[in-house]
Amino acid sequence: MTAQVDVELYGELQKFGAADVSACFSCGTCTASCPLVTEDATFPRRMIRYAQVGLRDKLLSSKELWTCYACGECSETCPTQAEPSEFMAAARRYAIGSYDRTGLARTMYTRPVLGTAIAVFLAAFFAIFMAAGHGGQATGSLDLFGFVPEDLVHTTGIVVMVIVALAGLAGIVTMARQIGRAEGVGWRTVVGSRAAVGRSLGALWEAIGVESLGQRRYREDCDADKAAGDADQAAVPIYRRRWLLHAVTMWGFLGLLGATILDYGLALAGIKATGTPVPIWYPVRLLGTLAGLMLVYGTSVLILDRFRRANRSVAHSTPADWTLLALLWITGGTGFALEVALYLPGAPAWGYWVFLFHVAVAMELVLLAPFMKLAHVLYRPVALFFYALARTPELPDRQGGTR
Amino acid sequence: MSQPELEVAALGVAGGAVPAARRIGVYVCHCGGNISDYVDVAKVVESVQGDGDVAVARTAMFACSDASQQDMIDDIQKNQLDGLVVASCSPKLHTYTFRAVATRAGLNPYEYSQVNIREQCSWIHRDDHEGATAKAIGLVQAGIARTRLTEPLEPIVVETTPKTLVIGGGIAGLRAAVGLADIGLQVVVVERELTLGGWVGRFGELYPYGKDGHALIAGLVAEIKKRPAITVLTGADVVGKSGSFGNYDVEVRVGGPGAGSISVRVGSIIVATGFDSYQPEAGEFGYGINGVMTLPEFTDLLDRSTGPLVHDGKPVRSVVYVYCVGSRQASDVEGANEYCSRFCCTAAVHASVRAAGLDAMARQFHLYRDMRTYGKYETIYTRSRELGSVYLRFPDDTPPAVARGEDGRLVVTVRDLLTDGEELAIPADLVVLVTGMVPRKNEELVGVLKLPLGSDGFFNEIHPKLRPVETVVGGVLIAGACQGPKSSAESVASGLAAVTQSAAILRKGFAELDPLVATVDTDACTACGKCLDACPYGAIAMTSLDGREVAVISETGCKGCGGCVPMCPEDAIDLRGYTDAQIRDQIDSLLEVSVA
Repeated sequence: MTAQVDVELYGELQKFGAADVSACFSCGTCTASCPLVTEDATFPRRMIRYAQVGLRDKLLSSKELWTCYACGECSETCPTQAEPSEFMAAARRYAIGSYDRTGLARTMYTRPVLGTAIAVFLAAFFAIFMAAGHGGQATGSLDLFGFVPEDLVHTTGIVVMVIVALAGLAGIVTMARQIGRAEGVGWRTVVGSRAAVGRSLGALWEAIGVESLGQRRYREDCDADKAAGDADQAAVPIYRRRWLLHAVTMWGFLGLLGATILDYGLALAGIKATGTPVPIWYPVRLLGTLAGLMLVYGTSVLILDRFRRANRSVAHSTPADWTLLALLWITGGTGFALEVALYLPGAPAWGYWVFLFHVAVAMELVLLAPFMKLAHVLYRPVALFFYALARTPELPDRQGGTR
Repeated sequence: MSQPELEVAALGVAGGAVPAARRIGVYVCHCGGNISDYVDVAKVVESVQGDGDVAVARTAMFACSDASQQDMIDDIQKNQLDGLVVASCSPKLHTYTFRAVATRAGLNPYEYSQVNIREQCSWIHRDDHEGATAKAIGLVQAGIARTRLTEPLEPIVVETTPKTLVIGGGIAGLRAAVGLADIGLQVVVVERELTLGGWVGRFGELYPYGKDGHALIAGLVAEIKKRPAITVLTGADVVGKSGSFGNYDVEVRVGGPGAGSISVRVGSIIVATGFDSYQPEAGEFGYGINGVMTLPEFTDLLDRSTGPLVHDGKPVRSVVYVYCVGSRQASDVEGANEYCSRFCCTAAVHASVRAAGLDAMARQFHLYRDMRTYGKYETIYTRSRELGSVYLRFPDDTPPAVARGEDGRLVVTVRDLLTDGEELAIPADLVVLVTGMVPRKNEELVGVLKLPLGSDGFFNEIHPKLRPVETVVGGVLIAGACQGPKSSAESVASGLAAVTQSAAILRKGFAELDPLVATVDTDACTACGKCLDACPYGAIAMTSLDGREVAVISETGCKGCGGCVPMCPEDAIDLRGYTDAQIRDQIDSLLEVSVA
C-alpha cells in the first residue's frame, strides 16, 4: 500500500521540541549502536526517516518509539549530531499529543506558557473548590476532614479518576489500533483462541510485570551509568543510576496510590474511618510513608540531575520534563509535611493549608496524567505488549489453525 | 617478481645478404598482466628473433614506463636501430609516446610502428590464450613488415594567421576571447543570438559561490569592450569554411537567413556552441501538467522570487525534485541519452538551498538515483540537507510517477530505498524535473566544420585525457558544453585550454603538421577526378602541370584518412606511412602466420 506523505509532519514535530534531524543522512549508526535493537525492532534511524519524509501514520504506529529509555548512546555516536535520542523523546511527546483526542495534551506540549497557566489554574481551581466548602480548623488535633469534608475529597477524586480513565482508555485504544494495524495484530490474534489468550497473557506479563514494574531492559540493556568495560569512566553508584531513580519514583508513586486506595477501602469495609489518627507503624500508614520516601528521593535526585545535566540523557530538558517532576515532588513533599504536622503536638494551623495544597496538586497530577509526560504510564506498556507479542511465536491453537 | 622484467635476446647481425636490411627493435609489452595474462609475450618475442631485420627483441612489463622508454632509447643508440615496433595497446593511446621515444633517441619518429595486442588480442580473446598469442605474433610480424618500408619523414611546416574565430558567445566563448586577446591574438566572436551570454547570462545566482550569471556575463562583456583586438558579431552564423590548417577562410552570415555574409581569415577556430537543456516529452514525469517544470524554468522562478515561492497564485509548501530526467536513460531505448549530465545534481541541490533561503518552512523532497555533487559541491548537498531537504533514492527500474490527484494537488509516487523500499505518495505544489544537457541541434555548423560527433551527439575530442580540446580537424578546437555536459566553471576551464591550444598553433607564426598525408604520382595521374569526390575535406584540386591536368593534394588540408587511395583507378595515390607496398606486406606477413 502506498504510504501518504504528510508535508506538515516535520514542522509539527518541531513544535513538540524535536531536535533538528535534517542533518541525518540515514547512515544507521544510531540503530547499530542502540542496545535495544533486535532484528525485528530497528530504530531510531527508521523513526527519523519517517519524520523526515513525513510518514505520520508509520511514526504513530511504531511500537519502537516506546521501547527506548533515552540512554543517549545514539546521540553520542551520531556522526552528524542529529540527536536521535532527543528526537525519540520528542516523537513520543508528539505521539502523546496525537493519541489524545481532546487536544489538551497538544496544548500542554506545544504552548508551554499556556500549558503552565492551565496547570496553575487547575491547582488553584481544586484548592478554591475544596476550600469553598471548608469547615472549621479544630485546634486540639488536626481534623483534616473536618476542614475539607471527606466526601468532597473522595467524590472529586472519583470524578477525576473517571475522567482520566476515559481519556486514557481512548488514547490507549487509538494507539493500540494503530500499532495493531501496522503489526497485523487484531482481536483474533490476541483473544481469538485459547492459545492466543495464553500468548497474550504472557505478553501482558512481560509488558507490565517484567518490563514496566521490573524495568528489566532499562536495568540490563539501557543502563548507561554502569561503566561498560570503560576504565576511564567510573560506574555511577547504584543509588544514583537512572533506572533505579526511575524505578523508585514509579514504585513510590504506585505505593502512594495503593495506600490511598487501601485507606479508602478500609473505610468502606468499616475497619477504620478515613482520617482516624493511627500510629506510624499502622500498615497502610507505613506503606504510604515508605512510598512517599521513595517518591521524594527519586524525584529529588532526578530534578538535581536534570538541573546539573548530570548525564547525556538529561542534556536537554523540556518544560514537560520539569512539570512532571515538579508535580510529583510537590505531591510527595507536601504529603510528608502533612505527616509531620499530624504527629506534631498542638495541631499547627499550617497543616490545614498544606493539606489543601497537597490535595489540589495530587488531583491535578492525576487529572493531567493522560495529557502530559506521565501519559507514558499508559502508552509504554501498550507498546511493550506488542513488542512482547511480536517476540512470542504464535502457537497453533486447539483448532489447528494459527489464527 | 620471479619473471625478469626484460628478456634480452642477443641476435646476430644479419649478414648483409638481404638488400636494404633493417635494424629494427621490437618491444612486446606485458601491460602489467593486461596482455601477458592471456598472450604468451615471451613466445611472441621468440617468434621474431629469427627475423634478419630484427636487431633487438624484448618484452617489457610496462613499455610506456619511464624506465622502459629509457631502455628503448639506450637500445636504439647502442644498436643503431633504424626502426621501432612496440606491441602494446591501441595506437590511440601511445603512438605519440613512442614516436617521442624515437625522437629522443635520434631516430626519425616515423620509423616507429605501434602494434595493438591488448585491445585486439588479450582483452577480446581471454578464453583462448593460444589463439590470442598466435594473433599477436601475426600482428607483430605485420608491424615489422610495415616498418621495413618506413622512411624518415619531416613535419609539414605551415605559416599561420594570428587570429582566432570563436563560435558561441556564452561564458566559455567569451572567456576564451578575452584570453586570446590577452596573448596577442586577434579574435572574432560569432554569436547566433542577438545578445551575448548564452545560458549563464539567463540566470541569477549560480553555484558554487552564488555568483550572479548576469553579472558574470556583464563583466566579461565589459572586458571584451576594453580589448580592441576582439570583434563581436551577434545575430551571426558560420555558413562556410574553406582553406586549410592555419589559414581558414570562414564565411559568416550576419543578420539571419538571406542576409549577406562576410569572410574572415583565421588561423584557428574555437567552437563553443554550448548545449540545449533537455526538453521532456509531454507526459514525461507529468510534464505538461501545471506545476511540473524543468530545472531552467524553476531557476527562472527562483530568480524572479524575492520571498516564499508562489506558483499560480498559491504559496508553494512542498517541492518535489525528480533527478536524471533526460540523462542516464536506459540503453535499450532508441536515441537514449545514456550519459550523466553531471551539472544538474549540484544545480538542483543549489536551487533547493536558494528555495530554502526564500522560505525555510517549505518542504523539499529530492527523488534521485545517485547523488553526484562531486568535488567541493558536496558541501552544497550537506547544506541543503541541513536546511531541511529530504533525499529519497529510487531504484533504477522504478522511476517516480507524477500525476494530479483527486484534490487537484500534484502527487508524486516514488519507491524510497531509504524507507524500507516503501512506496510513498508525496503531495507537491511544484514538481521540478531536473533536466540535463543535450547536444545543440547544429546540423549546418557540423556540416560546415566537418566535425565528428560522438555517439551521444556532442562534439568529440581527439583524446579525452591528453588532447581534450582538439578535434580531428586541425586548428578547430572545442570548448565548453558543446563537447559534453559541463558546469560553467568547467566550460571556462576548457575555453582557456582551447586558448592555449590556439596559441600553440598561432603564436609561433607557423605550425608543424603530421606528414602522413596522401601524395599523387603525377606521372600516373590521368585527371579522372574520382579522388576529388572521395575527399571529405576538400583537400584535392586539379592543377595544370607541364601542360596537362593532374590532381594535387593540399598537404595542409589532407587529414591522411586514405579515402582517396582506393578510388584512384591508376593507383597513382599513396598515403605516406601507409603506402600500398606497406599494407600489402603487412597482409602477407599476417597470412604467413595464420597459414603456418
